[in-house]
Amino acid sequence: MTAKHPGLVLKWLEDVDARSPVPLYEQIASRLKAAVGGGILADGDPLPSVRLLAGDLRINPATVVQAYRLLASDGFAEIRHGAGTFVRSPSSDQRQRERDAQARRLVRQLLAEGARLGISAREMKTAWDDTVQERSR
Amino acid sequence: MMDAIRLTGVGYRPGAGFAIENLSLAVPEGAIYGFLGPNGAGKTTTIRLLLGLLRPAQGQITVLGESIPDRAPQALGRIGYVPERPHLYRFLTVGESLRFHRAFHPRWDQAWAAELLGGFGLALDRPLRRLSKGEMGKLMMLQALCQRPELLVLDEPTDGLDPVVRREVMSAVVEYVAEHRATVFISSHLVHELERLCDWVGVMDRGTLVTQLPMTQLKNGIKRLRITGPVERLDGAPFAVLSRNGQGPGAVWIVDQWEPAMTSWIAERGVRIDAIDDLDLEEGFVERLRARRRGGNHV
Repeated sequence: MTAKHPGLVLKWLEDVDARSPVPLYEQIASRLKAAVGGGILADGDPLPSVRLLAGDLRINPATVVQAYRLLASDGFAEIRHGAGTFVRSPSSDQRQRERDAQARRLVRQLLAEGARLGISAREMKTAWDDTVQERSR
Repeated sequence: MMDAIRLTGVGYRPGAGFAIENLSLAVPEGAIYGFLGPNGAGKTTTIRLLLGLLRPAQGQITVLGESIPDRAPQALGRIGYVPERPHLYRFLTVGESLRFHRAFHPRWDQAWAAELLGGFGLALDRPLRRLSKGEMGKLMMLQALCQRPELLVLDEPTDGLDPVVRREVMSAVVEYVAEHRATVFISSHLVHELERLCDWVGVMDRGTLVTQLPMTQLKNGIKRLRITGPVERLDGAPFAVLSRNGQGPGAVWIVDQWEPAMTSWIAERGVRIDAIDDLDLEEGFVERLRARRRGGNHV
């Protein structure tokens, strides 16, 4: 599945949270990286224009520029002046690293949620193993 | 970089009881500046001063390089203003109001006006007195944007509008800024709306400016610390303490001017840090005002 339509990218980003301690531009960049890593965005797909994305999210246009610059410097996008910003498929190594990073991020979230409820990492691990086994059956 | 708006030592006293005193603020060109403050803080008065609608008793005001109020007519042609209350002629239709407004603005963007009219669902033949609050809000914003201003001054532009209209109106503002790099000065009670948009924040209270900082600095400097140990050893701390709750184990302090290196300063004094939490803009804003109103030395 590829996102030829900018609507899909907007949908992917619509719940960024300005109140989070993680800056908005980092949230946007990391979601788009995850989309590239997961194959939702493919090489050459156009990203929404700064005007469209900032307008849709009602955020500072400079924040979008900053997010796109970060993506470009990490090798996930290419900024073609006057034409827009396009997805660049990263090397398979880089793509795997991104997938690993996303997986670790999700696990950290899960563990933190568990800790809030007083569930230890060991209990979470047991539940994890059991659930994975159930699903593979 | 030049400042789009600069107030220096401005004083204004409309009557007994309330006064703007020694007000200085600076809005850098290209900034999206959020202007916060409780009701009656003097936000609307400040806006009227910087537009030349009121004459200050003391101080200097410069907007887009023009001295205000003397050269207000020259500046006003380059400013898109959305006031708190509707200011349009209610006996006109939408189409007539647009033609009237357009006559004052040679840079009027007719193509975008037509597009926004469609997007906002405004019919040209509707009389303004029949418009809902939301429709009126959309029309005022449309007029302010399509005159292609260098500076937008928005006084509670989404106050009383429903969430759908608010989104439409703010999206239009952001699209305009993305295209034309205009400066925006916006006052709002909806702190969350400003938090995602602004890169500068000024906070007013009781006629004076409490704080003025880039958004990231404002948000990163203020923390909630949960600490355990001999907290009295923290006198003379390199950060400002806005409030302290609880003694001994589990004390909660709200601090300002925080920097990461200060964790070791606390640890060296035998106090354990259990948590350092971030505050969002609204919490930070409330804490600062409270500290100030208690008469603390923190500004």
